[in-house]
Amino acid sequence: MVLYCLSIRKDWTYLLTGNGGLISRNLSETILALESPLIPRLGWIVGLGGHLGLSELSILSFVWYCLVTAGCFLLLGLFSRPAAIATWFLHLAAVKSADLLSYGMDNLTTIGLFYLMLSPLPDHLSVDWQWCKWRPKHQDLLGFWRRVLQTHMCLIYLFSGIAKCLGPGWWNGTNLWRALTRPPFDLISAETLLRFKHFLPIAGVAVWLLEIGYPFIIWQRRLRRPWLIAILLMHVGVGITMGMYLFASVMVVLNLAAFGPGILWHRRQAPGDGSSFSGSMIPSPNN
Amino acid sequence: MTTYVHLAGIESGYGFFAPNVPGTCKLVFELHYPDGRTESQVPAVSSNASGLRVVTLLDKIGRPQYDPLRELIIKMLALAVWREHSDATMIRAVFGVVMLPTAEEFEHGVRESSEFLYSYDFAFQPAGSKQPNP
Repeated sequence: MVLYCLSIRKDWTYLLTGNGGLISRNLSETILALESPLIPRLGWIVGLGGHLGLSELSILSFVWYCLVTAGCFLLLGLFSRPAAIATWFLHLAAVKSADLLSYGMDNLTTIGLFYLMLSPLPDHLSVDWQWCKWRPKHQDLLGFWRRVLQTHMCLIYLFSGIAKCLGPGWWNGTNLWRALTRPPFDLISAETLLRFKHFLPIAGVAVWLLEIGYPFIIWQRRLRRPWLIAILLMHVGVGITMGMYLFASVMVVLNLAAFGPGILWHRRQAPGDGSSFSGSMIPSPNN
Repeated sequence: MTTYVHLAGIESGYGFFAPNVPGTCKLVFELHYPDGRTESQVPAVSSNASGLRVVTLLDKIGRPQYDPLRELIIKMLALAVWREHSDATMIRAVFGVVMLPTAEEFEHGVRESSEFLYSYDFAFQPAGSKQPNP
């Protein structure tokens, strides 16, 4: 969340203002209101600030600082629950108010924040837990929410993989070539990429195989660790070769949150941790 | 249900770049000045992360379902450019798609080409009041 805010800092008000920006926020919010009047949007906060005599630009800057602060609190685990709710709400409002400018990364961030907001908090590594000695009220639900996130990740990869293998482009390397040479993702020059043209079909098939295989292999005791590492490397690769650093980092975080404990590192059983639900269905690699 | 899927971030599908990677949509503004000068501009933002969002916007308005909105959004983008060049009296927005060659075509010397899709003319008064005439 902090990286998201920093990446868009210079253009925050330019992209989100109602007047005088790139496109009017009012257009996105009008379209949004047709779908549902209850979806959060920045217009609510701007309207509220207007009653207090604050300008739109002031409110938008205030929202940015609130989002960064809430993100930092989440990172530290300080006031975890209010920070999670505030981050989810403000991020969702910003994304929905700039819906015409949003893409898949924003949806995946919303998904992650939505589950985080509902999950038992604080985490045992958080400041809330370590210093304030706060404990979750319903820690027995941790396993349930992790299982929901795991299932969601499996569905995302399954449908993404199936959609890819439906077209010939991911079999013969054409789509990988197009994705890597398509502006603004063309960080690697086409001349350089051409040297690896025989590798592209293999890489293209590997991508959808990894994605389709994810919901099946990730539950297999012997293969899940290399599969998860391969998926993480795929996202790191996408981030580096296409410049989609935020997208890559969001996917890495979601994967680590869903499957990291118990696969990449030993899941610590905190006192009173009821997440044995998760542990019982995903045996430790050492089992 | 509609509200819930938006709150949970699950209102869209997961076919990233699938089954086909589309060509990139491109928008170029031709700025016409009273003295006969012309210059070209593209929608400008300050960072790569914002640039990715602008590309997303252009790809969206290139889709058929955005037909009714396309002109309005391009008009807004033209206005944003005009604010930076307020002495321009006319802005022509040219919207097209960049066609990318395959690896084999690229090897044989074929390079990216642009395919024209739409053009809109917006007239502005020097005083600052906008009078778009698409």
